[in-house]
Amino acid sequence: MEKNEASPSTAQAAVADWMSAVKNLWENLSNQGADATRNCGMPGKSQQEKLQKSWETGAKMFQAMTGYLGKPETIEGVFKGLDTAPDLMTGMIRQSWEGYFDLQRQWMERAAKVGQNTKAYSFDDIDQETFKSIRELYEKELRKFLQIPQLGLNRFHQEKLTRLMDAQTIFQTTLGEFLYMFYVPLEKTTGVMQEKLEAMAEAGELHDDAKAYYNMWIKILEGHYMTILQSPEYAQVMDNTIAAFTDYKAAKDDVLCDMLQPLPVPTNQEMDALYKDVHAMKKKLRELSREIKRRAAKEEND
Amino acid sequence: MSQPKIAVDLILKNLTESTEKAKTRVRKASEVLLGPLETDLATTPYEVVYEEDRVQLKHYRPEKVTHKLPLLVVYALINRETMLDLQPGRSVVQTFLDKGIEVYMIDWGYPTRKDRYTTIDDHVNGYMDNVVDVIRDRHGLDQINLMGICMGGAFSVMYAALHPEKIQNLVTTVTPTNFDTDTGLLHIWMKKTRALEMGDAYGNMPGDLMNLGFLLLNPARLILDKYVGFVENMDNKAFVENFVRMEKWIFDSPDVPAATFRQFIEDCYKKNLLIQSKMMLDGQRVDLKKITMPLLNIYGKYDHLVPPEACEHLTRAVGSKDTEDLCLNTGHIGIYVSSKYQAEFAPKIAGWLKEREGGRKTADKGKKPAPRRIVGARKTETAGAATDAPQASIPEERKRA
Repeated sequence: MEKNEASPSTAQAAVADWMSAVKNLWENLSNQGADATRNCGMPGKSQQEKLQKSWETGAKMFQAMTGYLGKPETIEGVFKGLDTAPDLMTGMIRQSWEGYFDLQRQWMERAAKVGQNTKAYSFDDIDQETFKSIRELYEKELRKFLQIPQLGLNRFHQEKLTRLMDAQTIFQTTLGEFLYMFYVPLEKTTGVMQEKLEAMAEAGELHDDAKAYYNMWIKILEGHYMTILQSPEYAQVMDNTIAAFTDYKAAKDDVLCDMLQPLPVPTNQEMDALYKDVHAMKKKLRELSREIKRRAAKEEND
Repeated sequence: MSQPKIAVDLILKNLTESTEKAKTRVRKASEVLLGPLETDLATTPYEVVYEEDRVQLKHYRPEKVTHKLPLLVVYALINRETMLDLQPGRSVVQTFLDKGIEVYMIDWGYPTRKDRYTTIDDHVNGYMDNVVDVIRDRHGLDQINLMGICMGGAFSVMYAALHPEKIQNLVTTVTPTNFDTDTGLLHIWMKKTRALEMGDAYGNMPGDLMNLGFLLLNPARLILDKYVGFVENMDNKAFVENFVRMEKWIFDSPDVPAATFRQFIEDCYKKNLLIQSKMMLDGQRVDLKKITMPLLNIYGKYDHLVPPEACEHLTRAVGSKDTEDLCLNTGHIGIYVSSKYQAEFAPKIAGWLKEREGGRKTADKGKKPAPRRIVGARKTETAGAATDAPQASIPEERKRA
């Protein structure tokens, strides 16, 4: 700790020395610069004076600036400012680690449940909580870093990028849950098959034809899929996945449009606006052309 | 616990035999797969007699015309109409031609991003109405016969309700009109998920994504077992040809325009407006009571996409007194492609239309005939007949069949 406290003052002294050296250097350079302009043989006295004046002004401004920066209190202020940056970083990292440890703890708690044997043709005990907690944790702990307000000229583009990162994370989480639900019937079918084979073996009724086992397996698998696919949970997970995917796709397209903007190619957004106009015009044209034909037919009949 | 008796010797013997069989099968299969295969779809000759944007009207002419009225077939926007002409001997179109019916069929083409704002109204009151007028004009008729398939059937119902004066007889096959049912996963998922947003996200609803959805309806059979069946039979040339032909058809799936997809899910699947005569197309109400022409409604008992509950309400909701429901013991596609129903389905329609050829059994008295409109049809390379459409030409890549 002592070493840490001593180091800023050492650094302050070094910076002060460097500032002083740079100040002296610029004083010499400005004098030499002024001499050079006097001896360079430029035509017209006023031109020479203007150049010398601007050289001296520039040198003085730099000297004033370095003089200020070289003052001990300024250097101290700068170091204090630098001290706060690690604090900020530490705060952010601490929050991330806390979130990560929390996530890890929840994973550990849930991990055993995922592999647990579940009852055949029953999907009430599927552990969706794991995926839910991952998503919640992301939304609660990590998402806020992507939502730090963006500033400056590029803020809109930065916002689009962070939105894409956010949407991609959510989509990946929901897709993981969807794929897990899709995998569960395979797991359950394997369990049922094992039980059936054991029972058949005990009864001495094992088939000698591999096709019979396949038929049995596919029938059980189909039954499991039919059960899970009709469940409200599956519909909910499917809906979440679709919603997350459409969000991700929209965010990705937004970023892509931004990237294409400087290129000499029309973006989808621009073309869509055009298609909309064309569609409206075609519809109008259809109505008008039918009206003309109606009137023509009427006149003919009259 | 006693040790179970396992006939290891028998299992090993069978395994050896199976390995031998598999070797023979693979050798034969390589001969089949590497040799010439006849897998073309839609080989019945036709002419393209009208085009508008991506939409084409195909005309199939029988050797001898025995039906007075031509039949317009409207297929769904999902998959392609080639299913009705899958192969010689399994072709609904060919059966109609054999019965002396002149067949027109709409090919909806492949929508691109520019079609994303195309609504159901554009399909029904735009493309379909123009096509009907082209046929009426070509034949000098006030009315024609209309047959719709699946979503195309729903479009045909809408069209017949909005333009009853142009349709003499209406045939709907596996046509969903009542969406207030939870029989069938498709109905559940369409109601409980935000699937309609997929269309907006992509510009149009991608055909591949819809196909993935259909596979997920029964993954064990459609993703696994089907291909196990293929491997087991890949030494059988006829089986391989039929299988590849079906694969070609199933995965040839155009995108559905986003606006149409959204409207179909919102108004039909979610709000069930069509059967209640509350659906609106561009400000016009689709009143099913205005369907007063004879109606034949055919559907499949084991249809997992459009279950009987989704189809059978139509005949009670329309204004016609000449209606018939026919439920066949098959599924959504089996009606059109199974050899058994080939002999039943198309001949039934032909006979039913023939019976009503002289006029409606319960005709609307005093109804005004529809004014005939001349809608531009254009001369095409295949058509050979001069017509005057201002619309479009045939892009090379679209000359498919």
